[in-house]
Amino acid sequence: MSKFDVTRRGFIEGGLGLTVANFVPGSAPFASAATMEEQTIAAAKKVGAAKVNGMIWSPYFVPMQPVIAEFTKETGIGIGGVQDISIFDAPQRAMAEALSRSPQFDFIHIDSNMIPSLASAGFLEPLDEYIKNSGFHYDVVAGYDNFMKYNGHTYGVPTDGNVHIQYTRKDLIDNPDNKKRFADKFGTELKVADTWEENLRLQEFLMDPSKDLYGSGNLRNRANGVTWWYMIFYSAGGFPFDDDMKPTLNTPAGQYAVDIYLQDKKVNHPEAANWGTPQMIPRIAQGHVVSCQYWDGTCKTIKNPKQSKTVGQFYYSVVPGSKFSGKMLRRSISSPLAAILINKYSPRKAQAAYLALWLGSGKNSIPIVSDPVNAFNDAWSNAHFAAPQVINAYTQEGIDAIKKNFEIVCPPIYLTGYLEFQDALGKNLSEAYVGQLAAKDVLKNTENEWNKIVGRIGRAKLKKDLVSYKAAMTKRDVPA
Amino acid sequence: MAFALSPPAEATREASTLAVSRARAVRRFKLSLLLPLIAIFALVLTPVLLLQLYFSVHQWTVYLSSWWDADYVGLDLFRDVLTDPRFGWAVVRSLAFATGSTLGCFVFGFLLAYLMYRPFRGQAFFYIIFILPMLTVPVVVAYTAEMMLYRSGPLNDAISHITGFNFQVSWLTNPHLALLTAALLEIWNWTPFSFIIMLAGLAAIPKEPIEAAEILGASKWRIFWEVQVPLLRPVILLALVLRFLEAMAEFPKTWALFQGGPGSATETLPIYIFMTTWQYFEVSKGAAMSYIVMLMMIVIVLVAIQLLRREKRSLDAMYRQRDEEEQAAGG
Repeated sequence: MSKFDVTRRGFIEGGLGLTVANFVPGSAPFASAATMEEQTIAAAKKVGAAKVNGMIWSPYFVPMQPVIAEFTKETGIGIGGVQDISIFDAPQRAMAEALSRSPQFDFIHIDSNMIPSLASAGFLEPLDEYIKNSGFHYDVVAGYDNFMKYNGHTYGVPTDGNVHIQYTRKDLIDNPDNKKRFADKFGTELKVADTWEENLRLQEFLMDPSKDLYGSGNLRNRANGVTWWYMIFYSAGGFPFDDDMKPTLNTPAGQYAVDIYLQDKKVNHPEAANWGTPQMIPRIAQGHVVSCQYWDGTCKTIKNPKQSKTVGQFYYSVVPGSKFSGKMLRRSISSPLAAILINKYSPRKAQAAYLALWLGSGKNSIPIVSDPVNAFNDAWSNAHFAAPQVINAYTQEGIDAIKKNFEIVCPPIYLTGYLEFQDALGKNLSEAYVGQLAAKDVLKNTENEWNKIVGRIGRAKLKKDLVSYKAAMTKRDVPA
Repeated sequence: MAFALSPPAEATREASTLAVSRARAVRRFKLSLLLPLIAIFALVLTPVLLLQLYFSVHQWTVYLSSWWDADYVGLDLFRDVLTDPRFGWAVVRSLAFATGSTLGCFVFGFLLAYLMYRPFRGQAFFYIIFILPMLTVPVVVAYTAEMMLYRSGPLNDAISHITGFNFQVSWLTNPHLALLTAALLEIWNWTPFSFIIMLAGLAAIPKEPIEAAEILGASKWRIFWEVQVPLLRPVILLALVLRFLEAMAEFPKTWALFQGGPGSATETLPIYIFMTTWQYFEVSKGAAMSYIVMLMMIVIVLVAIQLLRREKRSLDAMYRQRDEEEQAAGG
């Protein structure tokens, strides 16, 4: 947490100095010497004190409170009240706010993939001006700031990176007996998987349901499973739309992704079809899973002996990739990437915006992402990756894996209508996973449904959105 | 007496005038009680219904324009809904869920009421125990059930211990069982509702017909089937109808446990309408769906009212006949 003792006199003197310096030719470097955090405070003071109200889930909010208190002390801008709404329910509630153009919430904390929908509904305040005034910059792995941008404007401040990393059981992989048996059977070394196929083979080989040890800990429920599908699809070189917004799911890359996705059934727990994080994280941490791709915060759970029986027993690495496209591609995913967005209809939007930028400083958010108890906010900033406090929370290996996965991170659908597109695909994948729908029909049906959604929202509009979506896609094939 | 001295025709006329005047007064009194309620109802409900009607005949996309600029599409959205196979399946699931859970609630509720309707020591304690499920918040029921119903959860373990078989049913993840699981939870949650109604019905049955049947040597089973059940028919119908309507609208447990899954196994009408309106933001289609469901429910309610009236008429006729027979016997 940053500590500032900015006195009024000191601030005026500093401000005066900066003003004078701005007029001195060639003195720009000196003028910008004030830190981003100091500039944010200065800009916030200009808009006056206020109590702002927000919609945010308490596990995210609790570790933010000391950082907010510091801002309140400096600027008089603090929290009036918050409505405790889970990040999974927030999109519906936020959309209701957008429809009613309500000024009730000054900020909302929500999945950043909702930015296109909420901005299109006219609910979001662009942050560009506030960013300029406060000298704010996103201290993130190159390109990740594009997750906050839409149609040329910046709308969000991340608080939770939520990138997927690969978890593989060290004790099982390094077991000499397992190594020998694996080598005898497959003629290759037992190691952390590089491809989806290798991962499935490894999971199948090491699982032992009689000991309640299953190969996979990936989610396959209707709400979350689709997130995993995108990683496979993108890594096979797929992208869901062509430039004319015609769905391109029912392609070889799409079918490949469905096939890999459904094969998880033979290595996952029989109840995975309806399991979410509350069921799966304990299973990972209690040692019932061989490997999986999961949100990075699970590192913190695994490291905590009060919650875990697998302390030190996992390899953390980059998620598997695929050579399906002809070259090796690895694609991780960040969803829901929790971010603070500002309500355009709020009378306190400037205050809320500066508070968000304060919380979005890499330096200020170190205590937020390293909170060992309220572990929902996960590391996302370069400042986090270097902070001993954060490294201690995730382990050095965990942080290295997180950083590498950020290099190849992608969003799920980043378009207006995100939830509609997402649920249509999620429903069909889920139906196929439980045997209600033939695998060959998943993408065909989804494309039909997506075409209707495109028609309803407007092809021309979505074609414009596509630019922001593509900008958020990583440009790297594999991490450096 | 002057009354007795009046000519019969005049007396009849006077009595008839008095009856008409009393009936009018009663009607006026009823109206005076009902009118404020009707006014409030109209004031609150009419704008909602009108707005919903507006949305259901206008295609509105939340992302593009203000709602008053939406394109008029006539009945297109209704046609869309009625030809949407997903909606059709949601209707089927809702009907199956509501029918199954209503019958379950009724059978168990009636059974409990029958065990409880005669006073016994400790009755109040059992009464409280039996109505507890109804007092539990549905979401709490869902989350508690979730913990109980895992494959390796307490319920399967208990059944395994009792039967000696390794009972490994996936209550929550088998798409063929998920709706049944939801219905069983509904039965557990709402059996007390049927229990209370049936208990009141059983307590209100006149004792004379039962005593008469006992004197005539009828068995308990015959008394139950041929005396109590016929007398309870209006109450039974009421319990079934009210429960059915409630079950058609069940949302919190099913949503908390399944969110429509696994696959689409628990995508009932309330879930599909919620998803359409608040996940897909198809407010217009959601409005059209709501109208169709509302019409469906109105039909069900009208049929139920007709059935209730018929039951009441036949019961009234039965009592009238009994009174006449008693009068004749007394005369």
